[in-house]
Amino acid sequence: MKIIGCGARNRGDDQAGLIVAERMRELGFEAEAYTGDPLRLLDSWSADDDVILVDAVQTGAPAGTIHIWDGDIPRSAESAVSSHGFDISKALELARALHRLPASLRVYGIEGLNFSQTQGLSPEVLGAIDTAIRQFGHLSSHSVE
Amino acid sequence: MTGRASKTIRVDTLARVEGEGSLFIKIEGEHVADVKLKIYEPPRMFEAFLRGRHFSEVSDITARICGICPIAYQMSAVHALESAMDIHIDPAVRLLRRLFYCGEWIESHALHIYMLHAPDFLGYEDVIGLARDHREVVEKALRLKKIGNRIVQVMGGREIHPISATVGGFYKVPAKQQLREMLPDLEWALQTSLEAVQWTSTLEFPKFEQDYEFVALRHPGEYPFNEGRLVSNRGLDIDAAEYEDNFSEVHVKHSNALHSVRRGGGSYLVGPLARFNLNFDKLPSVAQEAATKVGLQPPVKNPFRSIIVRAVELVFACAEALRIIQAYEPPSAPRVETPNRAGAGQAITEAPRGILYHRYAIDANGLVLTAKIVPPTSQNQRRIEDDLREYASHLVAWPVNEATWKCEQAIRNYDPCISCATHFLKVTIEK
Repeated sequence: MKIIGCGARNRGDDQAGLIVAERMRELGFEAEAYTGDPLRLLDSWSADDDVILVDAVQTGAPAGTIHIWDGDIPRSAESAVSSHGFDISKALELARALHRLPASLRVYGIEGLNFSQTQGLSPEVLGAIDTAIRQFGHLSSHSVE
Repeated sequence: MTGRASKTIRVDTLARVEGEGSLFIKIEGEHVADVKLKIYEPPRMFEAFLRGRHFSEVSDITARICGICPIAYQMSAVHALESAMDIHIDPAVRLLRRLFYCGEWIESHALHIYMLHAPDFLGYEDVIGLARDHREVVEKALRLKKIGNRIVQVMGGREIHPISATVGGFYKVPAKQQLREMLPDLEWALQTSLEAVQWTSTLEFPKFEQDYEFVALRHPGEYPFNEGRLVSNRGLDIDAAEYEDNFSEVHVKHSNALHSVRRGGGSYLVGPLARFNLNFDKLPSVAQEAATKVGLQPPVKNPFRSIIVRAVELVFACAEALRIIQAYEPPSAPRVETPNRAGAGQAITEAPRGILYHRYAIDANGLVLTAKIVPPTSQNQRRIEDDLREYASHLVAWPVNEATWKCEQAIRNYDPCISCATHFLKVTIEK
């Protein structure tokens, strides 16, 4: 199992995925934190990998809600905050079109509240980060068994 | 009032451009009554918060203006500051800066040619549709982009918002072997770029030409990146220090980005078409021959054909990177000393989208007193509206949705970077 956390540092709750990846790595899991160009994601896994991708999302659900897309790709409303129209969702769609998705892909979206540069992590998101890490640890022990 | 039919072309969120903008065109009968390229991305205030910072911080701060063209911001900043403090860099460092810029041009042009612009010509909504039918084309684009990113990473310390460039040189320069390892990839990139010239030349282009004033740098010995005089096809020939005597920025109500215009004149065009038309003789023979082979000769006045010109510039950037790496000898020191010194200076460099002007004044403690930044998209914004006004008049008989699609394409000819352009909003309070 490989954990990939995406997001932007110093952008409030948008760093949730990065923090999950960094903490999972500290716990000895295979995990990478990705910032910047979402197209780099396509080179971050191989065809055989079992990937969990974690990113902050905004769907209107209560802050800290963990959404899971298992075998599916979340659709972005619009590509306003991204590099020339490429966000994580578009990068994953492109990977699918190019037959470059990993063998297994689960996307965990942590509902964020504050995405401003002046904000830290919301308490609800901090709680969701802990929950996600516990879940991944549990998933990993099952996959080992 | 007569009952002339009117229609409105409206795109609320422009796709496949960087940043947030929208388009509004009003057509009354056969007449285009109004065109507004609205940039509503919030102002960024970089010029304001550079004030009071030490000059050594400027290149790192300005790199944050854009994720696609941070090298351009770093290069214009360090050259302007070196001009302000009369600092002269090692010739080997100068070559490394050109290599750094090659990386940015390769990744930016590859992204735009294949993934943002080509879908327009091939009838796809976006690159995902293109990838479904032409997987190999998009795979090439991704590999090219990765090669450009790799150069930026090796030269700048990381791919996005690099950190190695500084006033006087670089904090660290690469070892010979580090650069030589990139040669096989660059050989592939050169061949792929040559194919891109051929491939883009087979696309179908609207019959649309304009009488532009093309503005670009021109250097006596090379295709321009960091140095040269600013010239145009209408007789402009100035030093960067004279830029503000010849160009001004004006605020329009509908845009958070200032419009740059020629003083006493109107719009002008910067970017690949301008560079190609004004510097064709400075392209390496491999790029000249590739252009000639597909019938591309200056002056190119059809902005839709900028996709071929970008491919030619991709050939240039790959060939230039190969040339620099093959001859590379590390400089004796990565940078020259840069003691605090009061002064004022300007510089213009060629971002992938066109000229980028920086001006700084520094006090005796090395702190920035004033900063001015004019990004390429600010310089092209008025010209984009002029193109749309003319182009939309050809589309009055078209169904609105098709005309809208065509007008979006006309904007993407410029590969606008709206985030970069929204740098300052002048506010006038009327009482």
